[in-house]
Amino acid sequence: MDLREKLNILGDAAKYDVSCSSSGSSRCAPKGGFGSGCEAGICHTWAADGRCISLLKVLFSNACKYDCAYCVNRRSNDIPRATFTPKELVDLTMEFYRRNYIEGLFLSSAVVGSPDNTMEQLVRVAKDLRTVHHFGGYIHLKAIPGASARLLFEAGLYADRSSVNIEIPSDSALQYLAPEKNFDSIYRPMNFLAERKIGYDSDHARHSPKFLPAGQSTQMIVGASGETDLQILRLSAGFYQQQQMKRVYFSGYIPINADKRLPAITSKPPLLREHRLYQADWLMRFYNFRHDEILDESNPNLDVDLDPKAMWALRHPEFFPVDLQTADYESILRVPGIGVKSARLIVSGRRFSRIRLETLKKMGVVLKRAKYFIYHPDTPASLRRLYPEMVRPLLVAKRKPEQLGLFDNYVPALPAAISR
Amino acid sequence: MLAIHYDSSFDGFLSVVFEIYRQHLDVGDIVPVRPYAAEGAAAPDLFLQPFRVETDEESARRLRRAILNMAGEDILSLLDCAFRSEEPGIEMKIFAYLRKLFAGDSRGYARNPTSDEMLPLFTVARSVRREQGFMLGAVRFGKAPDGMYISAIEPRYNVVDMLAPHFRSRFPNGRWAVVDVHRRYGVCYEGGQVQLVSVDDPEAIAGVERSDEFARMWKSYYDSMAIKERLNPELLKRCLPVRYWKHLTERQVDASSLTIGGRNSEKRGADGLGGANLPSAVARSRSLALGHAGV
Ligand code: SF4
Repeated sequence: MDLREKLNILGDAAKYDVSCSSSGSSRCAPKGGFGSGCEAGICHTWAADGRCISLLKVLFSNACKYDCAYCVNRRSNDIPRATFTPKELVDLTMEFYRRNYIEGLFLSSAVVGSPDNTMEQLVRVAKDLRTVHHFGGYIHLKAIPGASARLLFEAGLYADRSSVNIEIPSDSALQYLAPEKNFDSIYRPMNFLAERKIGYDSDHARHSPKFLPAGQSTQMIVGASGETDLQILRLSAGFYQQQQMKRVYFSGYIPINADKRLPAITSKPPLLREHRLYQADWLMRFYNFRHDEILDESNPNLDVDLDPKAMWALRHPEFFPVDLQTADYESILRVPGIGVKSARLIVSGRRFSRIRLETLKKMGVVLKRAKYFIYHPDTPASLRRLYPEMVRPLLVAKRKPEQLGLFDNYVPALPAAISR
Repeated sequence: MLAIHYDSSFDGFLSVVFEIYRQHLDVGDIVPVRPYAAEGAAAPDLFLQPFRVETDEESARRLRRAILNMAGEDILSLLDCAFRSEEPGIEMKIFAYLRKLFAGDSRGYARNPTSDEMLPLFTVARSVRREQGFMLGAVRFGKAPDGMYISAIEPRYNVVDMLAPHFRSRFPNGRWAVVDVHRRYGVCYEGGQVQLVSVDDPEAIAGVERSDEFARMWKSYYDSMAIKERLNPELLKRCLPVRYWKHLTERQVDASSLTIGGRNSEKRGADGLGGANLPSAVARSRSLALGHAGV
């Protein structure tokens, strides 16, 4: 089998992993070598499905000995199998990198032989890149559940980021769908790496190489099992706090295998739901929302018609209108239509002059949305109250029926390389 | 009133502003004379009297100094970025800001991002910086037969020389060149030095990057990454506007012509024909080098 064929098979097998970020590393080009990190990450291109491609994302091998229901590579599928040699991967990564196709390598693998066996190969590739070729580009290594502590630790020395995918957001569903896995087998490597990172970084000088400088990430499949959005957000909030995750990715379930444990093979991937979850996740990471502010037991699911920020605003009429001249940064951030950049501009600009509607428009604030939530001196006092039932229909985007579930009126929150 | 013409460089623009103050010129418009066609350039105003100001390094330096003193480093760099947008009328907008700045009669004006003059510059500069960031990912190097990595780009704004520091720190021991084929100049890095080069035959450079097995592997890898259940041409165009596809190896539609073209030029390269003259195209241009760039 030639290299191009292998690359096609092992790239194709890796594409369902949605993590693509190349952020969090500020490595400089090593002496005598090449390649560096860019703290914010760099997107290099976008695939025909609109997902960003930043790293060469491949499996080392797709010859899996496990049989997870939701996965293309499961043992019971009849598909072509391939395995790279470490040298092939090293050469491919370096040459793609020199051409600026990629920011680095994202290396995952099916479980071949034993978890340790597999992990050994992944570490070998990363180690060769770093120590033989003095490669300073981004490396994301998957931690294979069940691999020994020694190998995980070594992975952390060479990789910028590592990830273990939880995939199914509840333990019982995970065990049902992936008989060889359970929450414990997933959390163990995560916790190990999180603890090692804290220990290692505090033991070492500020300028010596860091242990997993870009931290960890994980991904969950949405819509393969019956969890609510609240369960999913609670789980991700936990990852951010306890495992210090940098990113939690969501992947709308795409039926790959006909399996009676899973939604029918004809079902459409829940793209809109996935998008709303990313928006909620965004609120938690950049807008200081807590997961239990966004959803609670009486409202366990996100509103498909409204983005989560507008949904929160309409449930809290008492919070509005916000006066842009005097309100603190945090409150301004909560106004629908005002993003982080505009909020900062408002706060730095209002020291010098009044913020007028005209100014807001020039900043790029979506006035069509924001106007219901901000205090404006010209508004008659009787109207200075928010009536959710009146505002809601004005905020719900009119969607043509055939566009349902497509990305119509919003900026895609698909995980881009640049968003940490 | 005058329509002041200048050579379209930032130093040229600063010289214009310097002369406006020195000679008390009554300015109606500031018009760049570019060596290439700019997007949406306005028709000349027939009621203004043409007047030419030559670029003068000393005047430019003195004006920079003045801006640095009154507003600071970051504002100077913001003005430079806004200027690179080449947006019609950008000179007058920057001048409007400078006029108020130098008049010095409102406190805090220099650093107020929301003033009438500053806000538009602020948002334009933001777009230019976004374009620069986008280009860091969208450069595609091809390997020329002599081992130099060469890339052709056509960024919306004049940012090609802003890319040099990034690639220099990334490939400190490499040899590479990034050329803006529309504006006909680029940056070239060799032996630890970045130089600005002007390029007389941009077509020759545009061909180099899609011509070998690695390019083909990248293209087929790229195609296999799309999940067919999620195909979304609209989203793709929003993230990766069509205007950039031309220079992206992976967006070349016709994979078969890619293959054939690739084989051909590989062969030609080996024969010392075709492909082999590509780096020399850059080399030839380098003799016209605009001197060492301060990038
Ligand atoms: S272990 Fe990984 S590769 Fe193997 S079947 Fe399960 S999910 Fe797929």
